[in-house]
Amino acid sequence: MRALGTIAVILTGALLLYASGDFPAWGEPYSPANDSRVSRHYILKSFEETSVPNMVTAVLADYRSYDTLFETVVIFTAGIAIISILRGPVDKRVRLRRASEKSLRQSNLILAQTCRLLVPVIQMFALYVIAHGHHSPGGGFQGGVIFGASLILVALSFQLQTALDRISEKRAMILAGIGVLIYSGIGLTCVLLGSNFLDYSVLSKVLPLSAIEARSYGILGVETGVAFTVTAIMFAIYANLSSHGRMKGGL
Amino acid sequence: MVDQYPAIVLLAPFFAAIAVSLLGNWKSGFCLPLTVLSLVISLMSSIALLGQVAESGEVVYLLGGWPRPYGIEFRVDPLNGLLLVVICTIALLSSIYSIRAAAVETPDKCPQFYTLYLLLVTGLLGMSMTGDAFNLYVLVEVASLTSYALIAMRSKRAVLASFNYIIMGTIGASFYLLGVGYLYMKTGSLNMVDIREVLLESGLYTSETILVAFMMIMVGVWIKMAFFPLHGWLPNAYSYAPSTASCVLAPLVTKVTVYVMIRMMFTVFGPEYVFVYLGWSDVVVWMAIVAILAGSILALAQTDLKKMLSYLIVAEVGYMVGGVWLANETALVGAIYHVISDAFMTLCLFLAAGAIITKTGKYCIKDMEGLFRKMPWTMVGFVIAALSMIGIPPTCGFFSKWYLINGGIEAGNWGYVAALLISSLINAILFFRVIEVAYFKKESTDSDKEETVSGSSGVGEPPLTMLGPLLVTAVCLLLIGIFNQEIVILIRQAVSSFGPLGFIG
Repeated sequence: MRALGTIAVILTGALLLYASGDFPAWGEPYSPANDSRVSRHYILKSFEETSVPNMVTAVLADYRSYDTLFETVVIFTAGIAIISILRGPVDKRVRLRRASEKSLRQSNLILAQTCRLLVPVIQMFALYVIAHGHHSPGGGFQGGVIFGASLILVALSFQLQTALDRISEKRAMILAGIGVLIYSGIGLTCVLLGSNFLDYSVLSKVLPLSAIEARSYGILGVETGVAFTVTAIMFAIYANLSSHGRMKGGL
Repeated sequence: MVDQYPAIVLLAPFFAAIAVSLLGNWKSGFCLPLTVLSLVISLMSSIALLGQVAESGEVVYLLGGWPRPYGIEFRVDPLNGLLLVVICTIALLSSIYSIRAAAVETPDKCPQFYTLYLLLVTGLLGMSMTGDAFNLYVLVEVASLTSYALIAMRSKRAVLASFNYIIMGTIGASFYLLGVGYLYMKTGSLNMVDIREVLLESGLYTSETILVAFMMIMVGVWIKMAFFPLHGWLPNAYSYAPSTASCVLAPLVTKVTVYVMIRMMFTVFGPEYVFVYLGWSDVVVWMAIVAILAGSILALAQTDLKKMLSYLIVAEVGYMVGGVWLANETALVGAIYHVISDAFMTLCLFLAAGAIITKTGKYCIKDMEGLFRKMPWTMVGFVIAALSMIGIPPTCGFFSKWYLINGGIEAGNWGYVAALLISSLINAILFFRVIEVAYFKKESTDSDKEETVSGSSGVGEPPLTMLGPLLVTAVCLLLIGIFNQEIVILIRQAVSSFGPLGFIG
């Protein structure tokens, strides 16, 4: 078996090397990926068509918005999958490490205070990253991960229960669902307004905006949805994995 | 409304999945009606869409309103139009079947189960509709993640099987993604039709990168469809999964992946590249022959009913891959027809096996004695599916084999013809063995002990929600067989749009 594996790895490696012989030169500005019809259109027209200065955001959340919707669904699915596998029957939830938890709470004053100071800053930064995706690197995924990290920090430096008191796992999953719903709901609104799924430009019928600006605000809307889902799922996955699905104890 | 059919087909189960996950925690009674309702909507619009496609040719739906190649589009031709109807029908039938089974096998996980189930269906529908090579990957991920979770939901053994599947599935998906990446590097496009145009225009056939991209994509989809010898994950995953999950996974996942292979070969790379320029078809057909024989022989070695059926899937994948790579129209039509009929055959067999296992609690073939007396209608469904697997005339299995064998003869590949016939014979042995045990064998001698057991478990016909879908599927098998002409006309319409298959000599 091991020999077979080695052979497979060597073969694949050789194939990859063989393929690299025909690659465009490193950093070549006129390589097909940089200079095709599609890329040229994105580079020259994206601002004109979507009024989003950040080209990556325009491609991600408008030209290929349908992809991003399902990337969000992948994250959502991962959360549900982990919960459905780890969650055992209800009566099995045992109380773990009760005594050690108490001592932990008392002995870590510095940790607790640092966390208290840091969490609001992290969350503000997360919101900034989400909102600023139009102009600079950022957006729903990145901002959502940062926000989720702030919740995980609370769970790490206090106890899992402290974080769960603020956002229970059930509520986190509802938030995640709402995130996907915001994204796909905006898409569905476009259908109801008489255009294709995720064609934000028709939102100008209901918003006091031009069709191009409506695209930009549509993108902001879906990024918010993504942020909700990512935040909630990050936290739900951490809570489940760290407590073996029991929602008690934790790391 | 009319031009929104492609969106409705996909969005009905998708929104239902979100609704189930939001409302299900509050009241789990919402799960099932929402699931069934959304699948009915999806099925009706997929039928309407197929009618539209049959009448006026390819339907293109631009997501976000961006024209090709800047945005993502759904492209529905007769081939995936048919597949959409098949997916929706099978998902609907298994969801009705799940009314009882899910409550028994995954209690208190109802909302999660149905959310994952609907997302799986969404993923499969999206995979078959999309006209974008990268978008296909995203939906493959949705479909795979949900299937890993659905398989692992039941028991410890299933978790291990699912873990194997995760590893293999992820490797397969990575190969596919790498292939698409290489394609993008050379063509600068992700739209399937556009990639083919660029390949032709820029004369990229001789490029090594494109060759490796093609190999990567093929190996990726072969792993995903369990093409022998890359089938390792399949038997355990499908036989240990909760029966509702395996009823939707076993018929659909491998078949949709076969469709992906056809799409990649004919729409993205084009038959002139795959068959004329590369000219590997013989090698792949021989691999398929090995797959058919190995799958059948491994199935013969099984004592567990569901495992036996799982190995048969491996053999059937060999039929389809071989048919596609024979590189002539008859065989390709046969392969596509077999995708449809095999989906229903597998569904019928897994529904019957699920009903038997839930009622008797027994997995082994030798424990099936006297089943014809206890659950006659279930066994009728099972026998019809078995006849179809063997290839007895009025059922659809006969017609798909007919086209495949004719294609094999046309291509002059006698090995493939022989493999099909041998595998049909092995199928006959396999199923008559089961039928013999179930029909002729008397129940075990220590009858009083047996009676107490059967008295408590009440072995008899399964409830109507299990039996109904099973019999409907069995009727479908006959209908698909009887109306083969109409289906074949549709398939030919799709095949002719691929252009000349470039079969030489």
